[in-house]
Amino acid sequence: MEKLKALGLASLAACVLAACGGNGSAGADVDNSGARGSLIQAPPLRTASLTAADLSARLQSTTSGQQLLAVTGAPTCGVDVHYIQYGTVGGAGEQTTASGVLMVPTGATAPCTGPRPIVLYAHGTATDRGYNLAAIADTTNAASTESALLAAMFAAQGYIVVAPNYAGYDSSPLPYHPFLNADQQSKEMIDALTAARRAIGHVFAAGTTDNGKLFVSGYSEGGHVAMATVRALQGLGTTVTASAPLSGPYAMEAFGDAIMFGSVNIGSTVFVPLITTSYQKAYGNLYNATTDLYSVTYATGIETLLPSTTSLTDLFAQNKLPQTALFSSTTPATGNGALDAALAVPANPLFATGFGASNLIVNGVRVAYALDALASPDGAVPTPQAGVPLATTPQYPLRVALKRNDLRGGPWAPTAPMLLCGGNADPTVFFSVNAGTMQAFWAALPAGLVTVLDVDSAPTGAGDPFAAAKVGFAQAKAATFAAGGQTAVVQAYHGSLVPPFCAASARGFFSQF
Amino acid sequence: MKPTLVSFVAASACLSFAAPAVAQDNTVRAGIYIVRYHAKADDISGPFTQPGLNLDLKNVNTAYFAYIRRLSSGFDLELAAGWPPKTETIGKGPATVGSVPYDGQTIATAKWFSPTVLLNYKFLPESSPVRPYVGVGINYTHFYDRTSTAAGNAASGGPTTISLSDSIGPAGTIGVFYRLQGNWSLDGSFSMAKVKSDLEANTSGVIRKTTINFNPSTWVISVGYSF
Repeated sequence: MEKLKALGLASLAACVLAACGGNGSAGADVDNSGARGSLIQAPPLRTASLTAADLSARLQSTTSGQQLLAVTGAPTCGVDVHYIQYGTVGGAGEQTTASGVLMVPTGATAPCTGPRPIVLYAHGTATDRGYNLAAIADTTNAASTESALLAAMFAAQGYIVVAPNYAGYDSSPLPYHPFLNADQQSKEMIDALTAARRAIGHVFAAGTTDNGKLFVSGYSEGGHVAMATVRALQGLGTTVTASAPLSGPYAMEAFGDAIMFGSVNIGSTVFVPLITTSYQKAYGNLYNATTDLYSVTYATGIETLLPSTTSLTDLFAQNKLPQTALFSSTTPATGNGALDAALAVPANPLFATGFGASNLIVNGVRVAYALDALASPDGAVPTPQAGVPLATTPQYPLRVALKRNDLRGGPWAPTAPMLLCGGNADPTVFFSVNAGTMQAFWAALPAGLVTVLDVDSAPTGAGDPFAAAKVGFAQAKAATFAAGGQTAVVQAYHGSLVPPFCAASARGFFSQF
Repeated sequence: MKPTLVSFVAASACLSFAAPAVAQDNTVRAGIYIVRYHAKADDISGPFTQPGLNLDLKNVNTAYFAYIRRLSSGFDLELAAGWPPKTETIGKGPATVGSVPYDGQTIATAKWFSPTVLLNYKFLPESSPVRPYVGVGINYTHFYDRTSTAAGNAASGGPTTISLSDSIGPAGTIGVFYRLQGNWSLDGSFSMAKVKSDLEANTSGVIRKTTINFNPSTWVISVGYSF
């Protein structure tokens, strides 16, 4: 759920500009109506064009690039990066536009031209409003790292990549981001895919076409989006070849319960305003005034705080957000001993950092939420029940909203192979609460339909198809520990350590189909 | 990318002929315009634009035409222009943009119409067969038929339309007039003008901009006929 930071890729910087030159008549595919899936510019701007050799050379020129190459392997194809803009909807169904990236493999060899599969990818949480995956060569853009990962991992290996920047980012006029809104974000993914398919064929690499295979993936926030998109595509009757949601908060209700009862995740003071604003815009009933939810210190302007053009560091320095104190260290005293104990500062020091004197969320929210959870418990927390069912009758609006976006909802199950990848010690998106809950929820599915991969585990043997990812992760984790100790590991775990290895696992998984 | 005018030719054959008995008020000239650019442009700015991307221009030669009106024994008013040439804009900066060649590539072409009005002062008596002169005036330049080449489209990221603002700026010249037989004359000149234009390139809705100082210097060699 956190933006990818690792693998810097300063090198790609130099590339920029570049571009495309659309071939053929694109006019028929240009649509400024703003309708869902409309392609606003055709051919779309090519923001970078790199041969396989140039991409490799640029990655090799930096340490982070070398690390990325070690995971992705040498580029086989060149990559043309295009900036797409499309019509979509906001969280309340309002018409809007957004932007994203279309990466097209180039080159004369077979894996790089002709009919190619599409990877539809959803990025992780970004706090920078200018987040733009098409700005691959601009290392000042917060998206350049994740963009380089997509280029090296997928496009340079022959996959067409489509990835939205999301409504509320970059050129999108939407004044907020529908964060973890399963309905909106799955619609937007489908809209970006529709627009990108209209663009393919009009770009410089016109010889590269869609072969009909569709893979869906995404990391962190994007893991949730990817899974929601698979559900939505299935609902539309669209075939998904395979999917790989990575480190995502799929079981939103269970995850919310865990956090509200004190298992505060790293980054929660950023995620919570994004979630609550998103759901308030969509459903309108989370609060009457922001002070219903937030401490007065932070309530003013909180709805327009994120995503922001101001860095998180500055937002913390300006006291717009607390760095870690989601909840008050003076926990609720309701007179209900059991409840008060459940809401006390936890012994786990990692969770305890989520408590402080200058907290974001008022105690009343915790109490109301906890009472709702006790009255209508989630089947996954605190102890998984058979079938890990959702709460039957939640009443508290925030919890109702979380249930609405919990991907157990439907209920449904994937009909095409799905890989759920993550790391079991993820301090940001808890693996067991999310991937574990979905695994339990789908336990009765035929074997092989849902595969759960914990990259932070030992290979199961010589036949373990994910052995390389597990070993690579262990090495990266050890190197991080050697450089900065356990604190560095915790800080890097979700944002830097896991992403490349889960992405590589996803690629390997997709290559079977 | 700018033209200028004026006369002289120098030495050529050095024939000396007698001045006409009566000064003639009108002269037309035709010759060759040799335009040399000393362009200076801001780096191109805009979304998805690599730092350090700049432009240069290819020199051109074209036909020169002028009409000169005698105002007095010392002063002429000259209206000069070149036959609109196609000028090529060259990429200047990094060798490649990504993997797309840039430096030295012809990325755009444009034609310009660039008349200049000059007030010239001629030295020496009107009867003298050789008369040096200096002039100052105003240049106006209008660009048209602006086209991004395939190489330009590739570097820009897609089919690109280009606009260049009109320019109005001062011009100056020095030259030598040489009277031939009868009503004919030779003229040679060196001129400079300030030509500045704002360039805007639109690629799939993405706007990139720069300002170009063309700084043209112009040599003209022409033949004139007075009447």
